[in-house]
Amino acid sequence: MQIAPGALATSAGILAAPHPAFAQHALAQHDARPWAFVTDDEARWLAALCDVFIPEDDYPSASQAGVVDYIDLQLATGYGRGDGLYLEGPFPAGTQQQGYQVPYPPAQLIRRGIAGIRASDAPDLTALDQSAREGFVERLSQDTGTYDDIPAKVLFDELLGLTNQGYFTDPIYLGNYDYAGWKMVGFPGAHAYYLDRVDDPGRNASPPPMGIAHDRAAQPRPPRAIRKDI
Amino acid sequence: MAYETLPKTDVVIIGGGWTGLTAAYELAHTGQRCVVLERGQKRHSVTSFGAPEEHDELKYALRYGHMQDVKKETLTFRNSRDQQALPMRRLGSFLPGTGLGGAGIHWNGQIWRPLPSDLAMRSHYEGRYGAGFLPDDLSIQDWGVSYDELEPHLDFFERICGAGGYAGNLNGAARAGGNVFEGPRSADYPNPAMKQPISNTLFGQAAERLGLNPFPMPSANVTKAYENPYGAQLHPCTYCGFCERFGCGYLAKADPIICVYDRIKDHENFDIRFHAQVLRVEKSSDGRTATGVVYQDEDGSELFQPADTICMSAFGLWNVHLMLVSGLGTPYDPETRTGTVGRNYAYQTIAAVDAFFDDSVSTTPFMGAGALGVVVDDFNGDNFDHSDLGFVGGGYIACKQYNGRPVSYQPVPEGTPAWGGAWKHAVRENYGHHGDMVIHGSSVSTPENYLDLDPTWTDAYGRPLLRMTFNFPDNDRKMSDYVMNRAVEIAEEMDNVTSVSSFNLAAEGQDYSIVPYQTTHNVGGAVIGTDPQTSVVNRYGQMWDHHNVFVFGACLFPQNLGYNPTGPLMGLAYWTLEHMKTDYLQNPRPLMDA
Amino acid sequence: MKRITSTIFRMASVAALGLLGVPLDAQDRAASPGLDMLELRLQDDRVLFNAQVKQPVDDDLLELGRLVAMGGAQSGGSAMACFTCHGAQGQGDGSGAFPRLAGQAGWYVYKQLIDYASGDRPNKVMSGIAQRLTEAEMEAVAVYYSAIDAPYRAVLGQINGETLQWGGQLGAVGSAERGIPACVNCHGPSGTGNAPSVPYLAGQYANYMTYQLQLWREGVRDNDAMNVMSSIAGKMTDEDMRAVSEYYARVRPAERVIAPLDAPMAVTIGD
Repeated sequence: MQIAPGALATSAGILAAPHPAFAQHALAQHDARPWAFVTDDEARWLAALCDVFIPEDDYPSASQAGVVDYIDLQLATGYGRGDGLYLEGPFPAGTQQQGYQVPYPPAQLIRRGIAGIRASDAPDLTALDQSAREGFVERLSQDTGTYDDIPAKVLFDELLGLTNQGYFTDPIYLGNYDYAGWKMVGFPGAHAYYLDRVDDPGRNASPPPMGIAHDRAAQPRPPRAIRKDI
Repeated sequence: MAYETLPKTDVVIIGGGWTGLTAAYELAHTGQRCVVLERGQKRHSVTSFGAPEEHDELKYALRYGHMQDVKKETLTFRNSRDQQALPMRRLGSFLPGTGLGGAGIHWNGQIWRPLPSDLAMRSHYEGRYGAGFLPDDLSIQDWGVSYDELEPHLDFFERICGAGGYAGNLNGAARAGGNVFEGPRSADYPNPAMKQPISNTLFGQAAERLGLNPFPMPSANVTKAYENPYGAQLHPCTYCGFCERFGCGYLAKADPIICVYDRIKDHENFDIRFHAQVLRVEKSSDGRTATGVVYQDEDGSELFQPADTICMSAFGLWNVHLMLVSGLGTPYDPETRTGTVGRNYAYQTIAAVDAFFDDSVSTTPFMGAGALGVVVDDFNGDNFDHSDLGFVGGGYIACKQYNGRPVSYQPVPEGTPAWGGAWKHAVRENYGHHGDMVIHGSSVSTPENYLDLDPTWTDAYGRPLLRMTFNFPDNDRKMSDYVMNRAVEIAEEMDNVTSVSSFNLAAEGQDYSIVPYQTTHNVGGAVIGTDPQTSVVNRYGQMWDHHNVFVFGACLFPQNLGYNPTGPLMGLAYWTLEHMKTDYLQNPRPLMDA
Repeated sequence: MKRITSTIFRMASVAALGLLGVPLDAQDRAASPGLDMLELRLQDDRVLFNAQVKQPVDDDLLELGRLVAMGGAQSGGSAMACFTCHGAQGQGDGSGAFPRLAGQAGWYVYKQLIDYASGDRPNKVMSGIAQRLTEAEMEAVAVYYSAIDAPYRAVLGQINGETLQWGGQLGAVGSAERGIPACVNCHGPSGTGNAPSVPYLAGQYANYMTYQLQLWREGVRDNDAMNVMSSIAGKMTDEDMRAVSEYYARVRPAERVIAPLDAPMAVTIGD
């Protein structure tokens, strides 16, 4: 399964093109199917969307920080399956104050929602330029309709929330690549000891970040999907 | 229902959190054989909550790793009776715990005493402002137990936790630098106050300039190596910023495991069973007492644990739920306003003020602790003149620094877009230049805010869910607005502030929502009092209707005070336990005449 | 008197090490790292943060640090040369009597020198030395040693596998039974330190660490914030102390290699 880097990055390409440094990585062969849950098309759509939420500036964009990888992992695991969600029916619609009342766990919610939007007469997000994408997202945020019985508002809130998490949670969840989000704000991460300097404004510099697996992630995998600008 | 009957024990205790483990400790030492039934798992602060794995914002703060599983038990919610209550499908507004230690593991560690006037809210207000001062539509009540009676117990719990602070009222003598409004303390705090970061210090300085009385927030995030009266050893807090919603692997946050469980677990009179879900309390045929509890073990078998005495030490809401599904006491009916179980449910009224500093003030928000704050109590309780204000109650204003966890902590000035380049820029510009204030306000009771059983949805055990009907009373909207404006004044007075914004969750036109987190301070539903028409337990925490059932927790509060409830409810717990040990258990009977 | 004692001790340890064939570079000045090398290392944010004490790190500071390490402090002399005991690269001399300084958190080392000088950390040898350093010299030498990336010496001696396992467990997870929090709660990933305040344990000499734990337990050493270490050491048995020390003596920091974002990706979402 060793393929020359870059040789097969086609739009239908599912095969992995591992970086030479990773060629001996024991799990490289599993990259043959890169996504745990999303399809390539969904990944493309998510990358376009999340890079409107968190665009590239002096710091990486959402997709550059691995947000699509994060979302994929979340949807493939407990959160996507509905852990922490009471899903007994019936499901009458409620007030805003009564919160989530959709009969689907997040994985289904997002899959159906994205499919519903793409099947509608809304423009194809991935085919738009950056400015038009921003307009698309703005309209989606105000949308009171449903897509394949998924309320747009619920879908929007889930996606915005997942994007934000993917930028700032510990890299063990595949986002925040090389601590992009933590470096941006100055958050030191999972290792913390401040007893001797919490009240000393002269000694309050932010340590460079260290995540939960900092010492074990000697070779963190870069994001699997990055939206390249046109 | 066929179930196996176990050998009788002296005391069965429902719940292995603060009150349950404390009840077990105290009663086991007086010779009572105690069985604690904990629905969740066994765990230990050292090995279950160690860094760096514990410091996982996603797992514990956002996905609620230490909280109860709503798939097993949740509740339904509506703002008012003309709506249909719908299930709380995800945790949000409040985060009940599960497992050994319960919510005592993931609490902030803020440890307060009630004001003397808090415990006698009705008679205090009527005494000061006149008989008709409290509006008719508020069911405010006295607790029936006084501050002086509770003082030794409040003090003892502070010693159990190694609380750090500075007494403002030491045996009647006011001390500047402490809370000059508090009730008299017989002794100072066992440990010194926490060390304050720059944002809290600037807040305190501004408050002083305005003639207010700031003081360090009382904290159970221990400030130096300490041994508690049970022999537990606690270590100093590292200000790691992974406090609330997390367990403490440093042994620095007082929790029921290190403070109590470790000191009782090997006692011959102590037995605890995990994954033991209590389904209901069984009553005697004449209904005057309870005979024991039915619980489901981890294999799904139902077992009956008979006992002479029952302690209800589940989280407040679930104590009330158990009473309702077991037919203990009489459920409250809001239509006729009769019955008491479920009546007077209340919460906490929260508002927020954000101050943004210029570049010269670097706040390092990631250095934090759950009880790290500087507090102004001048607008709490009846510490100020309510004559012409149009509301009762109040709240404390705290500038706090609990954490800088980057998903949860993204303060941006008003008007910042919710995403995009400008948002991203604002997040990084303001992360380290922000002062975080909360207005932590009281919550009065009304006849329309109550708990009962839902007609439609059930839990994983087939029982109807608890149904919560609650909205902010107008009284609290006004109170919150008033105190928030006082907080804005302090924020604007602070040095180097470029902008101030505020947000009142209980603003006019804003209904209570179970979505955003506010506090896990759900109170009431099993109210304490001296009149069985308006209370479920008498002033000793003993059920009027079933004299061998003692109830613990914030479900006892007739309305909520401005402070966090753990201190007051533990003071009540020790008070109840004292009366059980020295009076009830020698001669089981109702301790008060109905 | 001091000079003679230390010479005798060093000769004995030198002789002992000579028998084991361990390379002796304690007096090989040419082996000390050049400032160019240190400046290169300090380009890395993490190395810089780890090293910096108060002022920004520049070559003047490094020069001064190196000078002090060679014995050139204002009140210096040959008995004041750090390298004679701590090694030209800060690796110690293999005996464990003198801790490894290379790559240690700069502020931590600086604070120890302050505490030696004031007596807050009692030590017959270091007190005299620290008292003869100015604060600027303390800062400089701390930064200097902190920036060095020295190789680790092989850990000598036999060790029972179970002891190592227990040490690793205590270090990573702690002991509920004894109320001992895990070392990594404060000491960084796998005990590699948490600058500026918390020193690394990984690669430090086992017998040095055991000795420090004993001093914490006895209350002889208590120069940490709020006496955390004595609370913890007070609950450790001799076996616990030996176990964690031997374990961490053998831990080495992992190399971190970050693939750049323009490395070929599995799927490129391009237009």
